[in-house]
Amino acid sequence: MIIMRNNRVESWREGFWRWLRFGDLPLRYKLVILFLMVGILPSIALGILVNWTVNRIVDQQVTSNTIQLIGKVNQTLDNDMENLQNITYLIGFDPRTERFLQGDIQGDKPAAGADIPSGTYRPQTSPVKQDNEENYEIKRYLQGFTTLYPEIASILLVNREGAYISNEMYARSPANLTEEEWYREAVLNEGIFTVLGHPADRNVTTHVHYANEELVSVVRSFVDPDTREVTGAVLIDLKLRAVARAVRDVTLGKSGYLMVAEAGGSSIYTPEDSIIPSIPPSWFPEEESGALIREVNGERVQLIYGTSSFTGWRTIGVFPTSESVYEVREIRFYMICFLFIVCLFGVTASYTLSQSISRPIWQLMSFMQKAESGDLTIRYWGNRQDEVGMLGRSFNRMLQQIRKLMKLSELRERQKREAELRSLQAHIKPHFLYNTLDTIHWMARKKGADDVSDLVESLSRLFRIGLSKGEDIIPMSDEWTHISSYLQIQKMRYRDRLQVEMELSPEAERLHVLKLILQPMVENAIYHGIKARRGPGRIWIQADVEENVLVLTVRDDGAGMPVERLDALRRQLADPVTAMEAPREEGPGASRSYGMLNVQARIKLTFGETYGIMIDSIENEGTTVRITHPLLHAVPSSSDHDRRDSR
Amino acid sequence: MKKMMLVYGALILAFLTYVFMYRLEDKRSSAWGEAGLHGSMGENYVMVTFQSGMEYWKNILKGFEDGGDALGVTVDYRGSTQYDVEEQITVLEQVIAKRPAGIALSAIDSKALTSTINKAVDAGIPVVLFDADAPDSKAYSFLATNNYNAGVAAADKMAQLLGREGEIGIVTQPGQQNHDDRSEGFRDTLAQRYPSMSVVEIREGKGDTLVAKEAAADMLGKHPDLKGIFVTEASGGMGVADAVIGAGKAGRVTIIGFDTNKGTLDRISDGTIAATIAQGTWNMGYWSLQYLFHLHHGLTVPAPTLGNDVSPLPARVDTGISIVTRENVNDYYAK
Repeated sequence: MIIMRNNRVESWREGFWRWLRFGDLPLRYKLVILFLMVGILPSIALGILVNWTVNRIVDQQVTSNTIQLIGKVNQTLDNDMENLQNITYLIGFDPRTERFLQGDIQGDKPAAGADIPSGTYRPQTSPVKQDNEENYEIKRYLQGFTTLYPEIASILLVNREGAYISNEMYARSPANLTEEEWYREAVLNEGIFTVLGHPADRNVTTHVHYANEELVSVVRSFVDPDTREVTGAVLIDLKLRAVARAVRDVTLGKSGYLMVAEAGGSSIYTPEDSIIPSIPPSWFPEEESGALIREVNGERVQLIYGTSSFTGWRTIGVFPTSESVYEVREIRFYMICFLFIVCLFGVTASYTLSQSISRPIWQLMSFMQKAESGDLTIRYWGNRQDEVGMLGRSFNRMLQQIRKLMKLSELRERQKREAELRSLQAHIKPHFLYNTLDTIHWMARKKGADDVSDLVESLSRLFRIGLSKGEDIIPMSDEWTHISSYLQIQKMRYRDRLQVEMELSPEAERLHVLKLILQPMVENAIYHGIKARRGPGRIWIQADVEENVLVLTVRDDGAGMPVERLDALRRQLADPVTAMEAPREEGPGASRSYGMLNVQARIKLTFGETYGIMIDSIENEGTTVRITHPLLHAVPSSSDHDRRDSR
Repeated sequence: MKKMMLVYGALILAFLTYVFMYRLEDKRSSAWGEAGLHGSMGENYVMVTFQSGMEYWKNILKGFEDGGDALGVTVDYRGSTQYDVEEQITVLEQVIAKRPAGIALSAIDSKALTSTINKAVDAGIPVVLFDADAPDSKAYSFLATNNYNAGVAAADKMAQLLGREGEIGIVTQPGQQNHDDRSEGFRDTLAQRYPSMSVVEIREGKGDTLVAKEAAADMLGKHPDLKGIFVTEASGGMGVADAVIGAGKAGRVTIIGFDTNKGTLDRISDGTIAATIAQGTWNMGYWSLQYLFHLHHGLTVPAPTLGNDVSPLPARVDTGISIVTRENVNDYYAK
């Protein structure tokens, strides 16, 4: 039970998979298959149905028609035979016949013909004149029948002595005619008209060369009404033509034909190009008429037959079954022509229809693929009004919308960045301070306060470089001076607590850098490193070129920072812009991170993601900040700058 | 698109193959029964004779029927029951009224039937004559034994049998055209080719066994050296044979008869009659039908009248004779 269910489930699953595979077919094939099924399958089914029906009906009609026809043929043959029977009676009624049968009129005796040896002379018995005349009269009388019925080949009268009178038959040999098979048959049937079929091995013949197969014999004996003795017989040879005439011009279909056979099975009439020469009577059931199918010489043959009760003859219609009835063949031909045209139209229509549906979809799909791979300028061209056209136009609108949105976001980004840069610079360079400081510097010098003068000069330098005519990129030497001035000021403040070591490699000196990137680092090192430390601290500032990158290092041996703080800072550095916009967190390190994030943001926005700040710190041991910066040998033009920006 | 073309190509190819096969089969099955000359069952050819029950016609009718079977047409046999000109004209008129495909006629009278025959021909029914002619009619052809030639053949046979010398007698029916032709052919040949043979007497047999017997007996008495007798018809032949037997000269007087009835054949078998002339009666019937068929189907261009030299059908046809002797007599007995 379980196994069975399993099987069922499996077969169901298999069917489902097959269906799924059909579902996987391209739409085009699906449509073709669908249209073909809708268009061609019904017409094929219709064709088969019509063919089958026509075949059956025509077959039935042919069979019934043939049986009717055979009935008519049988009737004709019966009429012919009845005529012959009438003739035998007519001959019997003639008084001269009576007298011949009684022996009153002498008939001819079978005489030797060809068998007489040469030279011997056998005198002819000269017949009595009277007798001879009556003999001649009977002959004339018999001749009269052949005059009226040319189908009768000859008539022969025999009496019981074996003497005979005939219009043109004569005995071949002296043997007694009463010994003949046909005579015995006549005697056996005692006055009943008997159809014998083709004559065979007879002693009587005519000069006219009718072969045995061309004749049909009938015979009737004369019976004395008082004594019931057979007094003689009449033999009539009918030309087969009479039978053939009724049968021959009947054609059944294309090659079917009629044949006539005796009750015993031997053939009476068979056309020349017949399929079966003779049919064993055992084939036929008892019925008078019917139809059956037999195999003859490896060919299936349909036999439709009818039996005549008068002659016992069976008229048989013979068809080869391989050859269907002509009309059916013709109908089938037109059917197949029709199917062909339907197929032709069906294939064309299904192909065109499926194309018209699937092609625009496919086109749209290829457009979408192009858009997918980045080309947003692609457009669906076409003015179809159907769903696909609508889809295409929606697609176009969608692409337009996407492009618009992208442009908008790009614009915003740039605006935002520019605003930011400006605000940053404004943040750092209070312009008027610089002029004021210059004044202070000179005033201090005048008054001899040299330390104040130096401090103010440093501060002034600091601001000048910070201002730097609005340029973003400055020579490395300027940056270096800037940081030196800054440190000089800070040294004033921290005195011995701050020790600085600066190292600028000659290669690095010739380069240009983004301005004011060192100052926030150094500021961080002083405020969060040295200041937070007990005792004096040291700061190392290095600028060097490593592997085509300018590396600026600011290291201190200050307080450093805890790991959590370092990780948080690193996360912020990874996305400086967002981090800067986030609400300021309170507590130490907030300001530290802001300057650093600012520098980081500037570097990333200006040069891209590959450059920027890397920070390393160990609590109570110090912090190292490395800035990687591209090698700029000259100040890039503003257009270069822009392009780089837009990328 | 290429795939579609392939599908179309395959479809059309399959269809054309089918149509071709269908036509081929059609042609084969229809060509089967249609090869060669073939008429239809509706064509009815009629043979018209006089004294239609006479045995003589039966062989001709057999030939006519065989011709009909060979060509697949139907044949009918009609004729006057008596030796009656008026009756034959009536029968012929009846036949014409049925508009058969052709008429083969043996004219009972060479003059009386001419207008009726012409009427048939004018109505578009082909007519051929056999055995007995109507020379002034429009009938297309006349098929019969050339009686003069038959006489010539009999003379040649007689000369061969007698070693080209000896006295010969003739028993005939003077005044009847065919018999006169036979004896004339016989006499002319002897005179021209065999100078040492001579016809010593010509007697009348009247077509009767007894008359011929008496004439022959008389002739044998008058000419003891008579070596041969030529009889121009069958019944006379048997009478002459009886006379020779009666005179005790059986085997010593060479008799050449005419026609092949049973009595004559029996006499040939026992050696009393040396030879007889068999007429091509079957041929008359058979070829009459063939001629009518050809005329009916327009396979020839018929000439307007008999005797026209350009006639596409032979206006006169010798249906031939054959000589029956003891060697081949068994072939002439009915089988």
